[in-house]
Formats: sequence, C-alpha cells, structure tokens
Amino acid sequence: MRRPALWLASALFLLSLSLIGYRVLRLGYPLFPTSPVKAWGLSMEVFFEPTGKNGKEMEIRAGLPQSRPGEAVIEQRNVSGSLQFNILPEGLNQIGVWSGDPEEGRVISYRATVLLNPKRLAKPRPPGPESFPAIIADKPEQILARRLIERWASLKGPEKLKAIAATAKGIGRVPPPDDNDLQQWSEIQKKYGAEGALEILLRVADFPVRKVQGFVLVESVATQPDRWIAVWTGQRWKPMQAETGDLYPESVRLLPLMIGDTPLVSVSGGKLQEVRWGISKQTLSKWRSHFERIQRSTRFLDRWSLFALPKEFQENFHILLLVPIGVLMISVLRNIVGFPTFGIFMPVLMALAFRSTGLGYGLGIFAGVVLTGYMLRRGIDRLRILLVPRLSILITFVILAFAVFALIGSKFGMREFMAVGLLPFVILSMTIERFFIITEESGAFQALRTAAGSAAVAAITYKIIQIDPLQLTFFVYPELLFSIMGLLLLLGNYSGYRLSEILRFKILGETS
Amino acid sequence: MIFKHFWSLRKARVLGMNRRNAQYIMQYNPRSAYPLVDDKLLTKQLALKHGIPTPPLYHVISYHGDIAGFERALVDRQEFVLKPARGGGGSGIVLITDRRDGKFVTQSGKVISRDEIRYHISDILSGIYSLEGLEDKAVIEGLIHPDQAFGKVTYEGVPDVRIIVYLGVPAMAMVRLPTRQSDGKANLHRGAVGVGIDIGRGKTLDGVRRSGSITHHPDTGELLRDIEVPFWEKMLLMAAQSTDITGLGYLGVDLVIDKKDGPLLLELNARPGLQIQIANRKGLLERLEMIDRAPKEIFPSPEKRATWATQNFAEPSS
Repeated sequence: MRRPALWLASALFLLSLSLIGYRVLRLGYPLFPTSPVKAWGLSMEVFFEPTGKNGKEMEIRAGLPQSRPGEAVIEQRNVSGSLQFNILPEGLNQIGVWSGDPEEGRVISYRATVLLNPKRLAKPRPPGPESFPAIIADKPEQILARRLIERWASLKGPEKLKAIAATAKGIGRVPPPDDNDLQQWSEIQKKYGAEGALEILLRVADFPVRKVQGFVLVESVATQPDRWIAVWTGQRWKPMQAETGDLYPESVRLLPLMIGDTPLVSVSGGKLQEVRWGISKQTLSKWRSHFERIQRSTRFLDRWSLFALPKEFQENFHILLLVPIGVLMISVLRNIVGFPTFGIFMPVLMALAFRSTGLGYGLGIFAGVVLTGYMLRRGIDRLRILLVPRLSILITFVILAFAVFALIGSKFGMREFMAVGLLPFVILSMTIERFFIITEESGAFQALRTAAGSAAVAAITYKIIQIDPLQLTFFVYPELLFSIMGLLLLLGNYSGYRLSEILRFKILGETS
Repeated sequence: MIFKHFWSLRKARVLGMNRRNAQYIMQYNPRSAYPLVDDKLLTKQLALKHGIPTPPLYHVISYHGDIAGFERALVDRQEFVLKPARGGGGSGIVLITDRRDGKFVTQSGKVISRDEIRYHISDILSGIYSLEGLEDKAVIEGLIHPDQAFGKVTYEGVPDVRIIVYLGVPAMAMVRLPTRQSDGKANLHRGAVGVGIDIGRGKTLDGVRRSGSITHHPDTGELLRDIEVPFWEKMLLMAAQSTDITGLGYLGVDLVIDKKDGPLLLELNARPGLQIQIANRKGLLERLEMIDRAPKEIFPSPEKRATWATQNFAEPSS
C-alpha cells in the first residue's frame, strides 16, 4: 500500500465521518435514517351557526398546533369554504382565525400532521412572566395553602412537585395535615375546581405554571380538549393532569394547542355548535418526514442537504447517488473477484435500469435483446455497412425491440415490460456489437462467458443498490461519497491476486 | 481456504493482474510512450530508425477514399498481411497468400472477394478494431514465411515469440504456436499453444493451451519440448533494445522468424498478458525482483542486459 493514497483515503474517511458526526450529534439526524418515524394527525371540525344576517362577518378562533422543541408541524390543510383562514401567533399560542361571510358552509375543517422528534428534546424556553399568574385565592386561603405545602419546602424540584400533587389529591403524606386543614382544603377545591386548587398550591410554592389545553396523543375522537397544568421544574415543563393532579408518565406524549384560559375554540358573530377533534397515528413516509424536518431547518448543513432540492429533482439524486455504490461494486467485482464484463460500466447502467424492470424481467429482456440483436448483426454482416451506420442500425433495432416489449407488456398488463425504455439502449447496442465481435474472434464460449459475467455483475450490483436503507443513508448523508472515494482509493491500491486468478494460475500454485 | 490459494500463488511468485498494472505498467510505462506501441506504424518507423528489422511495409491506407486504390498500390504482390495499425489482440488481421481474378485467398484457404476485403479495410479505418474505437489506418505489409524451426509444431500461420522485457532485461519468453482452432493465428486466447522458452539455452519447455498444460502440439502431434530457437541471442538483443527505443520499462516484445530475413520485430505491447507464466510454469515476480537487484552497470547496454538474462534465467537442466 502506498503511503500518500492511504493518507488521502484516511482523510476522506475522516471528512465524511466528521460531517456525519456533526449531523447526528449537533443536528439530531437519526443515525439510521430508516428508524420509524412517529407522526400524528390532528383533525378538527368546527360546526357553527351564524347568528347575524347573511353578509355579516363572523370569526372563528381556534388554537392550533405549532412547532416547538420536540414536535414539528409538517403539514396543515384547511377547508373552510368562503371563510378566510389565517394563522396568527398570539403570545405562546398559534391561533387559527377563520373570518368572513360563511355563505353556505356551516362547518370548517382543519388537519395537521405533527411529527414527534423521538430524539433528545431541544432545550425548551424558560418560562416568561405569563407563567406567573396572580394567585386567584384570597388571603386566608393562601395562608392555608402555604401551611399545606410548607412541609415540602426542603424538597427539591421534582420531588416537591410530587408531594404537592399528592397533597392536592388529598392523599395524606406522613405526617398527614390536620383534619381541619383538609376540611378547608376541600372547600377550596369545590370553589375553584380541582384544577384551580392545584394551581393555587403550585403558585404558592412559587412554581411557574401554565394551564394548557390540548390532547394526549392516543388515537381518539374528542369533543372536549384534555386539560393539564404544565409546571416548570427548572429544566422543563412537566405536565400534571388537571383533574387528579397526577403527573403524566414520561411515555405519554401531549399535544398542546392552547396555553392559558382562553377557550380552545371560540366563535364571534355566530354560535358554536360542536367541535370534533380526531387524533390518529400516521405512518409518514420516511422520505417525507426527513424532507420536511430538514427543509425547515436553518442550520448550514441542513440548508445544504439534498432535501433542500425541489421534490422532482430529489428523485434524480436518489438514483445518481446509487451510481457511486454501483461503480464501487464494479471495482470490487472486477479487481478483486475478476469478472469479465462488456465494457467497464455497462453493468452499472443495467443495474440502474433493473430498478424499473425488476431483476428477472430485466435479465430476460437483456438476454432477449442481445440475442436477437446478435442475429440481426450476423444478418447485416454480409451487407457491408460502415461502422457508424451499422451501430445506428443496432440502436434503432434495440429501440424497436423495446417498443415491442412495451406493447407486449401493455397487452398482458405487465408493467415490467413497459418500463423497458429505461434500459440503456446505447450500451445495449454496443454490447450487441461487442458480443458479435467476441463471438467471431474468440468463439461463442468466450462471448457467452463475458455476457454471463456482465449479467452477474449487473445482478449483484442491482441487489446492492436495491437495499433501501443503503439508498436512504446515502441520500441523507451524501458525504458518504467521500468514503466511497476513499474505498476506491484503497481498492485502486490493491495489488494482490484476483479470485479468478486462483483458477487461472492454478497450475503454478500447484507446482511450487 | 481462499487464503491458502492466495498463499500458494504468492509462494510461486506469480504476478497477478492488479500488481502488474499498479506496480509495473503504471510505474514504468509512461503514458506518453503508449502511442509508440499502440500504433504499429509508429513502432515500425521507430524500429527502422534504430536498425531493428521489421516486416517490410507495402502500403498504408488512411482514408476511406483511398480504399479503392489499394490494389494498384500492391502492384503484383501476391501475398501480404492486412492489419489495423492500432488493433489489439490480433483482431482484424488478415493474411493473404494469393490473389486470383480479383479475389483474395487467405492463409486458411478461404477465398474472399474484392468487396469483402474493401469492407474489411473500411471497418479498420472506422476504428472497429482499434483499442479505443478511434479512427485507424490499415497497414499492408509483407507476409512472413516462418523459419522451419517450429514447422513441425505449427498448424498453418506464423508462430511468434513473445519476450517480456523489464527495465530492458528480457525476463521471460515463450513461443506461440498457431493451431487449427486459433485459425492460424498466434493468439493464446484464440486457442494457440504457448510454449515457454528457456532464456539461458534458447530451447523450448512444455506447452500450455487455454489453461491446461500439454506436451504435444494438438494438431501435428509433435513434441513441444527442447526445440532450439534459432537466432535466440539476436532476439534477446532486439527485445532488450525495444526498451531503449520506446522508454517503456515493462514491455511485451513480439518477434517472428522469417525464413529469409531472420528475426523481425512484429509489434510491441505496453500491457503484455500474464499467460506467459503458465507457459513457463513459473511466476514472473521472482525474475522481476531479480532484475531489480541486478548490478547497475549492465543497464546502460542492451548487450549486457541480454547476456545477464541468459546467465541468470537459465532453467536448471533436468
């Protein structure tokens, strides 16, 4: 192994590794881009009755999901007839506003797809002043609340929270509060509701709190949002069930739609009849989720990702990025194994074409076209046609054969045959000519051997580029191409024997 | 399992394709010298300039427009060889032994018409036989009448001698004998027999055909071993000189022995095949490494290099 090549290869490996590392560690790319992506669909249908006369403006406001650390809204769709739809940020919330004259519709519907980032959560923003609402209870009630929780003053954040939650539920901790206090506390709970009472306790204990309306992410249909109280523990918001005071377990994912007391859906200039929400799990196409997530990012490597390309051009790159894998395969199969092939890169093009025809049909068409083409070539050999027109005749023949295959395909409804047009016709024509020449010069055996070698290399290459995770990995991490270059450098430095040479020089190995 | 095989090849000092390319061809054959050997016409001119004999050149056809006039240029020559200047592996070569009523008789007795031969020349000019598919020239040169040394082990055609020359030192040699299967051509991949030559004594060793070893010629049935190669020292010298005139450090030199003119340089090959190792039952690597260690003073002189080779590459007498 020569030194400079080794260094260069190592540098290339390092380059692609560090770029991947940066993407994974800093940008939170999945290490294996194929890991399933969880996405949730939220649907909302608002049924309403305009109260004003026709032509009178009305307005519907509803809390909508928004992208925040840990979740991303990747798609929103809205059907609202003649009503105008706008999304306005209001404080911590994203409010959808439908306004205008509802000429005929009495319902609006809205859909969103929310992607949950299964990876580590980015740091949430610490609470602002809105999370320290004035305590609603009066003085004596506050004193009572203080007394109830003062025993937990020495506890640390999350522990204290648990203790307070238990207190709110009335579960006696050791030592239990005295009966009189408990009696009075249940009065307060009646007065302010379980949620209000819990908020009072938390506020008295100086926890930043937010009242949140939204949904627990389980497949369900609801007419009322779930309500919870989010408590800031110093690092993150912990949701507590408003009614019971229970902390939600870590595994439960929540989708907040509205922070604060504002009703989740409100109508002015009309009457709200019913709101129906639906929560459903969605299997998002892997491509789309990556595409969406990365496309919204402002980070340099995200911006410079292939996902930033318009969809129709991305498709090209899915295929283009396979070519280096293909040529790597060719290099291995030729330089280490020692397959004979027609032309160096013909099998890669064949393998790419097999992606649309499938392997079996592809090889069949390959064999069919080359053999019939060979017969044509034999036939026109006697006519003494100059090289360029002769090759052109072969190309024309190949195209004609494609047309016949496609027509047969459409007759019998076989898509594989109809996809025949994607086979590399120029290469096929050259292959026919090479096949003919090798047959003439070195015999049919040699020609068939080379054809079989080409087919085998194309098939192996096809099998490898068909590995979906591999494809996806290259698309997400195009810097892997540097690694391919590194591998090719190493391969180019391989001066050992080829596997085929074991057979070829067998006599020599034996005599020694 | 596989490693055991690799190991036995390595122990036999076999030169593999990858190593040949990386360590010898790429290292010792400057790209700029390739055209000299890829174009047989240039090789011929070069050899003539340096006094290395080659088959006589009759005519060169460069343009399609000249095809019609090629018979006039031949005057009354009855036999000739038509070959592409840039062809590889013996493809596109036609040996003509006779002309009758505007028709041509090939070596194997086939009669081809004027049209057919013109068609063939046109193919050559279009570059169908050329290594890179580039436009080519058709060369017409004198037919070789092989020396009878190999007469008994040749089925038609002309046997040729291949010598691998490394850094100007002949390293390994074989003679390629046409068979019925090879259609009178001396190309191993067409089924010709390759017979190793003991460089020290100038005598043949055992033969190989395809990948199998043989002792007798498949068509004539004669013993292949111990045939004395005429003009052996002169051929070694011509081979050694080929490096000096081309600047190629790893070279295959193809020579033929004409009855009248003696050894002639047929062509040079910058990427000589590895089959010669099988014909000699010997790995090439050992000899190449011996040449690497050869005394410096032999290198300036082709005579000294050829002599050094005969002294060092003699087979142990059996």
